[in-house]
Amino acid sequence: MSDLATALVFWPSAAIMLVTGLYVFRTRSMARAGLLLLASLGIEGLVFLSLASEFLGVLQLLMMSGEMVIMVFFMVMFMADPGGLMGMDMTHDKRRSAAVAAGVAAALGAVAVATDWPGTVVTGAAPDIEQIGFEVMGRSMLSFLFAGMTILFAMVGGILLAKHGGRLGIPAPAGEPRDEEGAP
Amino acid sequence: MISLPVVLATAALLFAVGVYGALSQTNAIMVIMGIELMLGAAMLNAVGFMRYAWPDAASGAFFVLVVMTLMAVEATVGFALVIAAFRNRRTAELDDLTELRG
Repeated sequence: MSDLATALVFWPSAAIMLVTGLYVFRTRSMARAGLLLLASLGIEGLVFLSLASEFLGVLQLLMMSGEMVIMVFFMVMFMADPGGLMGMDMTHDKRRSAAVAAGVAAALGAVAVATDWPGTVVTGAAPDIEQIGFEVMGRSMLSFLFAGMTILFAMVGGILLAKHGGRLGIPAPAGEPRDEEGAP
Repeated sequence: MISLPVVLATAALLFAVGVYGALSQTNAIMVIMGIELMLGAAMLNAVGFMRYAWPDAASGAFFVLVVMTLMAVEATVGFALVIAAFRNRRTAELDDLTELRG
């Protein structure tokens, strides 16, 4: 991909990614917030494509599509006002949060711009999918297997944690919260 | 012209958006969303380094795969915790979950 083509894809994609990411926390509709997050992280896949990482870009789009659709279901299930029709404000400390975020952006941005990063002349060639496959199934295979096992453990642990009765194994009657000792 | 500092600065902005979301929201699901954006920024950093600092190294892609795994694990455990909290307290609002406050 030429420099011009990279810039033409990168800048609009990065702008949309940041704006949709910000609007996740600005909209009152929780279903809309989930879809905006899907848009933000999905368009990040387009940014990856512009940086000559086609495989990772497509993978990002596929992973985030599945994950964010599940997240939308959770938001509709657990939010007090999933449609945003009642005008509930589900935020706190907005000013301090914005100040901390601005400080983080300024600090990281300064490091990004001021540091003398190793310069490499980019020729347009990037590691192709075959090289990534050999990396994952060769030198990094143990780490890759460990990542797979971590997902498996997270799934089993998540189901155990979320099952009816919780970690204590005592089912709470529907509609009644547990008391301080955890008994129903 | 796109360069490594441009990519890193973009990732810094995305990370800051995630920080704002994680700190300002009262619902646990929304906090998870903020953390997802922060991890997305980490992935963008890895792709930027892979492209502009070490373009011949395929191991950079592996870092992105690890962060994607981390995103899935974080969402899985986070949702399970939300379900467990909701079963016990009938709410996912973090301001109401104060048992560990002391």
